[in-house]
Amino acid sequence: MAIMMPASDQAVLARRAEIVAALRAIVPGEGVIDTPAEMRAYESDGLTAYRQPPMVVVLPETTEQISLILKYCAGQNIKVVPRGSGTSLSGGALPLEDGVLLGLGKFKRIREIDFDNRVVVTEPGVTNLAISQAVAHAGFYYAPDPSSQIACSIGGNVAENSGGVHCLKYGMTTNNVLGCEIVLMSGEILRIGGKGCENAGYDLMGVITGSEGLLGVITEITVRILQKPETARALMVGFAEVEAAGECVARIIGAGIIPGGMEMMDKPAIHAAEAFVHAGYPLDVEALLIIELDGPKIEVDELITRVETIANGCGSTTCQISTSEAERNLFWAGRKAAFPAVGRISPDYLCMDGTIPRGALPKALARIRELGEKYQLGCANVFHAGDGNLHPLILYDANKPGEIERAEAFGADILRACVEFGGVLTGEHGVGIEKRDLMPEMFSEVDLNQQQRLKCAFDSQGLLNPGKVFPTLHRCAELGRMHVHAGKLAFPDLPRF
Amino acid sequence: MDTLKVRDAKDVEEVVRAAIANEQPLEIIGHGSKRGIGHAMATNAVLDLSALNAVTAYEPNELIVTLQAGAPVADVLSLIDAKNQQFAFEPMNTAPLLGTPALGTIGGMIAAGLAGPRRIRAGGARDHLLGAHAVSGFGDSFKTGGKVVKNVTGYDLCKLLAGSWGTLSVMTEVTLKVMPKPEAERTLLLRGLDDAAANKAMTAALGSPFDVSGAAHLPYQAVRAGTDGLGDLAGQSEALTVLRLEGITASAAHRANSLRELLAPFGAATFIEDAASAALWATIRDVLPFAAGGALGARPVWRIVCPPASGAALGTLLAQETGGDVIYDWGGGLIWAALPPKDDAHAPAVRMRANAVGGHATLIRAAEDVRRNVDVFHPQASGVAALSERVRASFDPKAVLNRGRLSRGAVA
Repeated sequence: MAIMMPASDQAVLARRAEIVAALRAIVPGEGVIDTPAEMRAYESDGLTAYRQPPMVVVLPETTEQISLILKYCAGQNIKVVPRGSGTSLSGGALPLEDGVLLGLGKFKRIREIDFDNRVVVTEPGVTNLAISQAVAHAGFYYAPDPSSQIACSIGGNVAENSGGVHCLKYGMTTNNVLGCEIVLMSGEILRIGGKGCENAGYDLMGVITGSEGLLGVITEITVRILQKPETARALMVGFAEVEAAGECVARIIGAGIIPGGMEMMDKPAIHAAEAFVHAGYPLDVEALLIIELDGPKIEVDELITRVETIANGCGSTTCQISTSEAERNLFWAGRKAAFPAVGRISPDYLCMDGTIPRGALPKALARIRELGEKYQLGCANVFHAGDGNLHPLILYDANKPGEIERAEAFGADILRACVEFGGVLTGEHGVGIEKRDLMPEMFSEVDLNQQQRLKCAFDSQGLLNPGKVFPTLHRCAELGRMHVHAGKLAFPDLPRF
Repeated sequence: MDTLKVRDAKDVEEVVRAAIANEQPLEIIGHGSKRGIGHAMATNAVLDLSALNAVTAYEPNELIVTLQAGAPVADVLSLIDAKNQQFAFEPMNTAPLLGTPALGTIGGMIAAGLAGPRRIRAGGARDHLLGAHAVSGFGDSFKTGGKVVKNVTGYDLCKLLAGSWGTLSVMTEVTLKVMPKPEAERTLLLRGLDDAAANKAMTAALGSPFDVSGAAHLPYQAVRAGTDGLGDLAGQSEALTVLRLEGITASAAHRANSLRELLAPFGAATFIEDAASAALWATIRDVLPFAAGGALGARPVWRIVCPPASGAALGTLLAQETGGDVIYDWGGGLIWAALPPKDDAHAPAVRMRANAVGGHATLIRAAEDVRRNVDVFHPQASGVAALSERVRASFDPKAVLNRGRLSRGAVA
């Protein structure tokens, strides 16, 4: 394991039996799992290159149990790692050897559907897709749609601030969540926000969203639901050059059109996807755009024409427009299956997740090509072109000595390039452990210290999901120390009034 | 009064560091246009950001603009308007309501976070702040977020800065999302509905697939002759329920017709378009029926946020109990209440009603002696209040930034 996790607390490990018994007193029956065989299912999340069995797994069923577990762990100085469905791609739910793994899988009830206020109040273990399904009969849906939506939990979506294909138009999780019930590491249960558009006071919901399970354990969430657009149609446009496809994306946005989704695939990704799902993708193009317009039929038809004109103006070599739902779904089938499709052409792959300004797309792809040559590894690129979110898939073989290390170094260089081009390390997968040690590429020590101080406000002992997000852990007392600079400054050159 | 006019982030750091060393809190201002909101601050030292006013970068194709905090809002709106872009959250211009000069900076716009009618569809200031550079109460410059929309790298401190009223950090530069202006807008007008029926009509509209971007109700008392932007609509002594549709011309027209059919049970709707529609929504955004220069200019004004479907019941009761006037925006989820003058501005009634439905209320306009008697910002449950205070202290442990603005009897 290339990533160092915090040193295990031997005193805690020595008391394992006692801790298991204490947890059983809180969560009776089968809610506490402590045998190696049964714990195996929890030893990794979607970032499968990293594995670690937890000290013990606990699967509470009530908020009160979670409160008691956290209070007990805080009192005993025991680390806690929260986990939803375990689909994180950044290792956010990787267990700790000396930590309790707190699974939210039993929180799978939708508590309230309120169509008049256009919200759903749900427990965190409910899957993303199940929310949309629960309100579909009335024409509603929950907009953020990460590609794992069939499996990923809404609690995990809040923790990671998940995105998806449609977040270009409808926003990420943070733009679609109104409130929550959260249990702090102290065991304290708080309600933040509610069914109104805005919270009172500081926007705590906003900072809890995307906090990667480091601030608290969410036990209930209120999400916004929207009416489904009347219709959706897609264009599939091929280009002989990546630059032309990038230009097309820029011109569509520049024309004031915000598509429901705008995805791009490069040649290796197109070939892998086509071989897998036979979606009819053109194989002689360097880049393929899938552009979806949604809304009333009259609007979609008009925008399809406008986008087609723009694409022609950018030198598209092929352009197909869906005329039925079946055809639209077929266009998407290849893109949605891109990850497994790449899995077929390579024994292993690493999925990266940087964001760049849209305009930097051609130079980012050129850099990725150069890096591929340097590291002697293949790379297929799929990305959310509308918002500049890249998903390079680095191909490697874990059985060949040294390849995983090379793949990881390649990935790190791609993310460094994203920052260099004015972008960020992660667009939707989270920092977790995967990008933790790259954080200094984007943030100074002062920046990171301010973020860690915020954590201290929620978890002063640093017991909740330690080892994630931050490359260096500091004690709260140390972070809170104020360096008093020489006082009584006179500001001789500042204008005064 | 000592006002320090800073020129760059370095100056801000120095001033804040001196404030820490001297234990001298600072009032943070841009143009000072919203100084009347909140409690009087426990200081007479002012950090003035108005000279830190450059447009760092405007990239229309990336849909972003990076601005220094002191940049005048009016100038920035002109700049992006020239590229047919806008801030989709429709920031409120508080000048008419507060009776202040028509000023305001980008820093103040974000720190106050007062979004207009499109909040229901496009989100608030917090949803459009992509990144910020700021100086914390440790006297250190830090950055958070970035210049791209899709970003989950580290905690999203932007969310905390938006709406923090300058109590967490001094923002020096921000990157904001801009959006294309819609080609066309249509507003559907329903007349004569009582508040409850209007709330139902707005709920039906917002629950429709027609992508409504504004849903407001002006009870007849609020539809006064002489109110800017109401034009011919004023003076008819009829309540107005208004629903906005925006987008490409054919689509806005189509959806307006579909919505009119859907809302037929609420009466026969009429339309206004483009400039007339825009003027009406500016009136609602800036709460002009309660303008300082108007008939209700002497009344205290509350801004109440609640679950949208609870709006009418809350607003009707409050108006009856106090003899005040109300206006509904956000489909009922935002209530502006101008209540008869009273030394506590009717705070107990307002807060009791808001709490009963899980809402909250801010006293946006009131004389200083009234603000001494009343919590301007909604008191929170003790656990959340304690967490908020720890969050505040994590940015500014010595409370040197806008000390006392958010709560009465704060650290002296």
